[in-house]
Amino acid sequence: MTPAAKTLVARLAVLALGLAIWFCPVPAGLTLPAWRLFAIFAATIASVIVGAFPILTASVLAVAVAVLSGVLPPAKAYAGFANGTILLIVVAFLVAKAIVKCGLGQRLGHLVVSLFGKSTLGLGYSVFLLDAVIAPAFPSDTARSGVLYPLVLSLAEGGGSKPDEATRRRLGAYLMFCGMATLSLSSALWLTAMAGNPLGAEIGKSMGFSVSFGSWLLASLLPTLVLLAGLPLLLYKVFPPEVKETPEAPAAAKKALAAMGRLSRDEKVVSVTFVVMVLLWALAGTLKVDLTAVAFLGLGVLLASGVLTLKDIGQQGDVLATFIWFAILYTLSGQLNTLGFMGYLGQRLGGALGGLPWLAAYAVLVLAYVLLHYLFVSQTAHVLALFGVFLGVGAQLGVPVPLLGFALLVSTSYFSTITPQASSANLLVVGSGYLTQGELYRLGTITTLFNVLVLLLVGTPWILFVAR
Amino acid sequence: MRPRARLAAAALAAALAAPYLPARAEEPAPDGWRPFTAAWTLQGTRQLLPAGGVRPAALIHVSGPFTVTGGEGLGRGFLGEVFAFDDGEALLVGRMVFTDEKGDRIFCSARAEALETGRKATATITGGTGRYARLEGSFTLRWQYVVAAESGEIGGRFTDIEGRTRVASPGREVPR
Repeated sequence: MTPAAKTLVARLAVLALGLAIWFCPVPAGLTLPAWRLFAIFAATIASVIVGAFPILTASVLAVAVAVLSGVLPPAKAYAGFANGTILLIVVAFLVAKAIVKCGLGQRLGHLVVSLFGKSTLGLGYSVFLLDAVIAPAFPSDTARSGVLYPLVLSLAEGGGSKPDEATRRRLGAYLMFCGMATLSLSSALWLTAMAGNPLGAEIGKSMGFSVSFGSWLLASLLPTLVLLAGLPLLLYKVFPPEVKETPEAPAAAKKALAAMGRLSRDEKVVSVTFVVMVLLWALAGTLKVDLTAVAFLGLGVLLASGVLTLKDIGQQGDVLATFIWFAILYTLSGQLNTLGFMGYLGQRLGGALGGLPWLAAYAVLVLAYVLLHYLFVSQTAHVLALFGVFLGVGAQLGVPVPLLGFALLVSTSYFSTITPQASSANLLVVGSGYLTQGELYRLGTITTLFNVLVLLLVGTPWILFVAR
Repeated sequence: MRPRARLAAAALAAALAAPYLPARAEEPAPDGWRPFTAAWTLQGTRQLLPAGGVRPAALIHVSGPFTVTGGEGLGRGFLGEVFAFDDGEALLVGRMVFTDEKGDRIFCSARAEALETGRKATATITGGTGRYARLEGSFTLRWQYVVAAESGEIGGRFTDIEGRTRVASPGREVPR
């Protein structure tokens, strides 16, 4: 079969799936708009997975169908375009470009390579370790991705890897995915590293399961340390970079650093701006400042100082594409949730587990909780919709509440790479151009499977031991 | 297939088929009342206005699946949507609308204690459309948990929902 014929078959299959769901009788407990929106959303996600359409094409078709068929009113369908988190991503993209453009990124890259650069695997580990260390200070993993991305981009470009077919696999694609996968671990390690974590802890508290900063860290420590040790290596094996060993790189990086001399004027402006942004992001909760406003402030300074020009902004077509598809999927998923679909599914699944032994029920609940994230575009929304429902079901089936509570809360971060749109924190990497759609889905699935497997096999006895 | 796998497969099949199966009919009590129990997971937004009260005044808009867990007289579940107003002192009133898979609706008025875990609310059915056109009844709810994010998002779950409904006789006004 020719590629064109394959694409046609895939498109027809996706259309058939959407129509089949659309015309299926509405299950009792759901409403017609919820069911039809699910048909659109399922067809959209399926079309991306089977390669019928790129994610941008699938998303714009989906929102057009949703509005023109009357499933969603226009005001609700376009609400994602005014979402603060999505705007944060767009602005963080532009700030990252400034870091690279002024040469500061190259300098940072040389510095990291001089310390960890004997191998690409070493660089991968350095990304994971850096993120794990800075994570407790950042209550938003999206903001943290804005800190990591410029560094990873600089390392990739410094290694001669650009987002083009010829060089992206040298080391850029591997490091970029490390930059995305690390957030799934660092956010699980610390109570304060992801916005949904404290909300989940609060829900748990009202259901008799108390969580503190220390008890969270203790419960997540062993599985996450195992993953920190294993995941960079696993990705290295399943998605090997073309450049592996660079024993001469640290010395060369030191020489290059020396040759760069002192910071230029633009580097100083970007350094100060970026440090202030990072500090404000880290202290956002205490100072009550908005994360997106901080990003806009930084971008404004970079534009006003001439480090970034309007021409630079005009060249960022990838940013626009990412903004459009993510805003659409964010809205569709959010509306699906508002219409009760996610909670309905959770309650139905939970209700079907009666009679299972608690250990089997526990494993099924964790796996179902993870797989349901295919329908979500926000980890916080996932926690609010499903965590309490699943915890309640598990408690009724005799699953120890602290075990299930911690497992579900940690999973909320472990599954953040299951799809490219699974977390807004993925978007900088997704939009970087270093990874294809197919690679993102394949690596996301492998990462999520590995994370959940370690949670079930290592985390379960550990949590039972430390959180009785 | 092993017995445990068979049990799991049967449970999954039952869960998938359950929404399409008709509810088991039971005779109502002589006075026509039918009790029911339910659970309700809600998510939405809360807008706050510090207005000098004990707590900020609030406009609340939440929705989520209302699952009937026992009893007769209602369908298996609804999408439940709530608009509520909290004056920051003693008054928290709202309107609830429940929509089933056929688009038929139940309308309710509600009064509640402050929006906190463990607090209670009461709702009175004021009417409906389609097969619920002459429904009357009331129910009580208690927050199993309710949490709020700084962004204004809130989420919560009512459990222990208990109430009763009946179809008003043709000559009698449904209470509004």
